Amino acid sequence: MTAVADPPAAAPVNRSGTRGFWGETWARFRRRKLAMIALIYVIFLTVVALCAPMIAGTKPVLCYYKGSYYSPCWGYFRPAWENVVFKRDRFRRTNYAESLKKGDPQSWAVWPLVYQDPYRRVTAGEQPDLPENPPNGGPPHAGSPFGSDQYGVDIFAQMVHASLTALLVGFVSMGIAGSIGITLGAAAGYLGGWVDMAISRLIEVVMCVPTLILILAMIAIVEKPTIWHIMAVIGVTGWTGIARLTRAEFLKIKQSDFVTAAEAMGAGRLRIMFRHILPNALAPVLVPITFGIASAILIESSLSFLGFGPQGNPSWGKLLTEAPSHMQMWWLIVFPGGAIFLAVLAYNLIGEGLQEATDPRLRGAGR
Amino acid sequence: MLNYLIRRLLIGLLTLTCITFIVYGLIRQMPGDPTTVAINESDPSKKLDLASFKRMREQYYLDDPFPIGYAHWVTNLLRGDLGRSSYQKQSVTSAIGQRIGPTLLLSVTSLTLALLLSIPLGLYSSARNGKTDERVLSTLLYMLYSFPSFVAALLLQYTFYLKLGWLPLDGMHSDGYESYSFVGQLVDVAWHSILPVVCYTYGSLAYESRFIRANMAEVLRQDYIRTARAKGVGPISLLVRHAFRNTLIPMVTLRGMMLPALLSGTVILEKIFSWPGMGLLFLEAIYARDYSLIMGLTLLFSVLTLLGTLVSDILYAVVDPRVSYS
Repeated sequence: MTAVADPPAAAPVNRSGTRGFWGETWARFRRRKLAMIALIYVIFLTVVALCAPMIAGTKPVLCYYKGSYYSPCWGYFRPAWENVVFKRDRFRRTNYAESLKKGDPQSWAVWPLVYQDPYRRVTAGEQPDLPENPPNGGPPHAGSPFGSDQYGVDIFAQMVHASLTALLVGFVSMGIAGSIGITLGAAAGYLGGWVDMAISRLIEVVMCVPTLILILAMIAIVEKPTIWHIMAVIGVTGWTGIARLTRAEFLKIKQSDFVTAAEAMGAGRLRIMFRHILPNALAPVLVPITFGIASAILIESSLSFLGFGPQGNPSWGKLLTEAPSHMQMWWLIVFPGGAIFLAVLAYNLIGEGLQEATDPRLRGAGR
Repeated sequence: MLNYLIRRLLIGLLTLTCITFIVYGLIRQMPGDPTTVAINESDPSKKLDLASFKRMREQYYLDDPFPIGYAHWVTNLLRGDLGRSSYQKQSVTSAIGQRIGPTLLLSVTSLTLALLLSIPLGLYSSARNGKTDERVLSTLLYMLYSFPSFVAALLLQYTFYLKLGWLPLDGMHSDGYESYSFVGQLVDVAWHSILPVVCYTYGSLAYESRFIRANMAEVLRQDYIRTARAKGVGPISLLVRHAFRNTLIPMVTLRGMMLPALLSGTVILEKIFSWPGMGLLFLEAIYARDYSLIMGLTLLFSVLTLLGTLVSDILYAVVDPRVSYS
């Protein structure tokens, strides 16, 4: 808690054996096995999301074509990241496997781990030993581990590419909610007076709006909602809990000696709020943000399931949309549903671990 | 107290105005309006002629800017008129009235079930705190709490309808429901409501038993519990009479917050189970751009949310003598 306000003179306090606030929180968080497993899982999901084109896809991770090396798989993230040479040679017409051979017999390619495309059906003969996906979808087998959907598009590939959607939805929407909530909560807690009155009323009003109604009405405005619209809507509606907690923390920390010291030294309000108080209030505020990530993922998949979801991007919820009309295809329910469940569970567990690590009342409780 | 109530009600009224104004503004920005939906009607006999098209545009003030339409809506509301639903072809009040019953059937059943089951579960896990069975139970409850209800609904439908054939897929009645005897009708509805009730209940059950356990853990560390234990109070009496009673305050607040959930239903579960309730009505109203119905439902849900917070704040003062609003 100490060395925040002061210049390096106060640093020896930390060196003399006491851990800082964050070190203390981390040490306590680390003791919870489930929370640590959840954290590892979330890191794993992040890696999967960022490396999605290398894990599943039909564009080579690395290929040698007409005397140069290319890595066209990143075209899944942005079509512009695919080298122009492939567009010129009409690779989109068929698939990479055939086009590479046709354009340059000397060419070779390193394929992603699982040769399946998230946007189209893989046909016979693209890869040796890989059977085609049945046009109406088929159960899991070695070449298509999670089966294929009603159009024959592989589910594993769609899920791997959809994990980026889940990652973005969680972090961006809570980034928006967090910045609104922390700014308003900090202003209300530190400035007090009429600012506090106005912001508290605003929080009450927003809390009373039935969230789903607001979200559905806001999304219905946009004809083709993209993932960014969804994230903005979730962020704009989900900041109240964060604001309330920040306000409470600021009210508490405002009384501390180090804030008085900073005031006496002539630090400005903004400087005190964001440089002195906020770092000390951040850990408890991370708790509602983590729970918020879980609920953002849940909201996005529910919206996609209802048909209000983002267009274009694959999403776990969207995979489930077809499940009711193709009920005998159990793999349409189990794998995407399981992915949503595990992601939500992981963020909830991390949130709970953080809560117990930062809330002094809960210390030593539970176990 | 009276002062407090009046202040809260006035703030509530202001909040309501804000919410309905925002929602009205939003739905007027949606692409399409009640007339476009009527125009796209596939049945030629129901096609909209020019006269009724003009009448409809006037009826919903579509040619005026939305604040004027909103003002008209408020004026009609003050006269007690919520307007006519454009797609249900009846007044909003009766459209809502038809759907309240099915939603209440689900929500009341599942909230009661959750309450009845969560108290013993919560007490049991706080009594056995730290033991293996408690840890297994808590982990299970935590997993249930994180399990998305629509995934559970799909899995249950797959298992119990498709694989086992024990339970109906969706809807509230079987075909030929009218010809059944009264008891037969009751059994039929009960049969159809098993899966929705299960999906509705398990989340709140898990949430509430965890809630009880967390509150109990806090109370059990108090000094008066140690005193009671030292006096030789038995373990059950200690848990129920000394500790549990003191966790009732947050429980009561939680109940108040659940008031809106009683009527709003769950859009997603009612959609999966084709259950003719309020959530499905709201979804249909959005699809059909049914302005009056959306506004009526928004008003109802917001009033309930406001009432829920107010009631739980008042109950707070009732159950805890330390809290007073005078």
